[in-house]
Amino acid sequence: MSERPAWAAGVCAGLHAAGCRDAVYVPDNPLSHVLAEMRERYRDVRLTLATREEEAFGIAAGLYLGGRRPAVLVQSSGLGNSLNAVTSLVIPYQIPIVIIVSMRGDIGEWNAAQVPMGRAMRPILDAIGIPHAAIESPADAERIVRLAASTAFGTRMPAACLVPRRITSPAAPRMPSAS
Amino acid sequence: MTRLEATRLVLTAAGDAPVVASLGHPAYDLFAAGDRPQNFYTWGSMGMASSIGLGIALAKPAARVFVVDGDGALLMNLGSLATIGLLKPPNLTIVVMDNGEYATTGGQATPTAHGADLEAAARAMRLDAATVRTEDDLGALLAGGRRPIVIVAKVAESAPTAKPPLDCVFIKQRFMAAIGNPEEAADAAGRA
Repeated sequence: MSERPAWAAGVCAGLHAAGCRDAVYVPDNPLSHVLAEMRERYRDVRLTLATREEEAFGIAAGLYLGGRRPAVLVQSSGLGNSLNAVTSLVIPYQIPIVIIVSMRGDIGEWNAAQVPMGRAMRPILDAIGIPHAAIESPADAERIVRLAASTAFGTRMPAACLVPRRITSPAAPRMPSAS
Repeated sequence: MTRLEATRLVLTAAGDAPVVASLGHPAYDLFAAGDRPQNFYTWGSMGMASSIGLGIALAKPAARVFVVDGDGALLMNLGSLATIGLLKPPNLTIVVMDNGEYATTGGQATPTAHGADLEAAARAMRLDAATVRTEDDLGALLAGGRRPIVIVAKVAESAPTAKPPLDCVFIKQRFMAAIGNPEEAADAAGRA
């Protein structure tokens, strides 16, 4: 068992402190640490798997309507899958959701297919008016998540925390051999 | 059975329970069948009605939750059936108004017009499902002891004549207050 990364513990602590007891997710590798930490340390948080990221936002919207404080955990590529639900449901109905975005396509990326959406992530969030902040260091994770939750539940808007690859993959990935 | 007739039966079965409607004609017919605060009308996010209903059902296990979906809309989010099949919330009922067409956009045929079977899709995702063609059968399933989570109602298009309120925030706040989660109270709890 590898040690759980500090950033993932911080994300979970921040969500829990903000009153989130529901997290809807589509998994990726870095988020697996968040899910494991939640299952182990925050058993009162219900984790709900969605088949696709847009669906996750629909479920989260329903959870909020039902009186819960939802978080959505997705990879940046999947936020692209979600934009219709985000822009035609979550934003116009003013539904607060804390969005944890595991970044692909930023510095450290090795897969060209991940780069275009990763590079577009911040401009897209800006264009649709979703406030966002990056977790710049593992020690910062809890504070950033709590701030995002304050923005979300205070202003009734979704708010996003971006978790960069330099945090989630601190070791340089091994490249395929050129041999 | 027209969609409006089928929608009236859903409202009758719902009583005070929340009803989520897919955008366009299903939402218009829900409004025409009887506007009430417990109606959640979507104005976008095609395909999301069943997911929204699932979220409400998870949040409020003591409430019965109804969804009025469309065949074209559900086909846009078929993965929702897998998620609901995994969780099987006993308090959720999804009525798919299957008219075989994208009626809101001009009546283009959907795959169900050519045999695509949404009841079979739901069953394949381990959901209890049924297809009905008459008001009697739909009413019996909505009221009866057997409560399939997915009911595919084969309906005729009934051109809507009225539209629900356009103010999304009004729809939300009225809905949340009516089902016992007023937003102001949520804010107060958050600040405390």
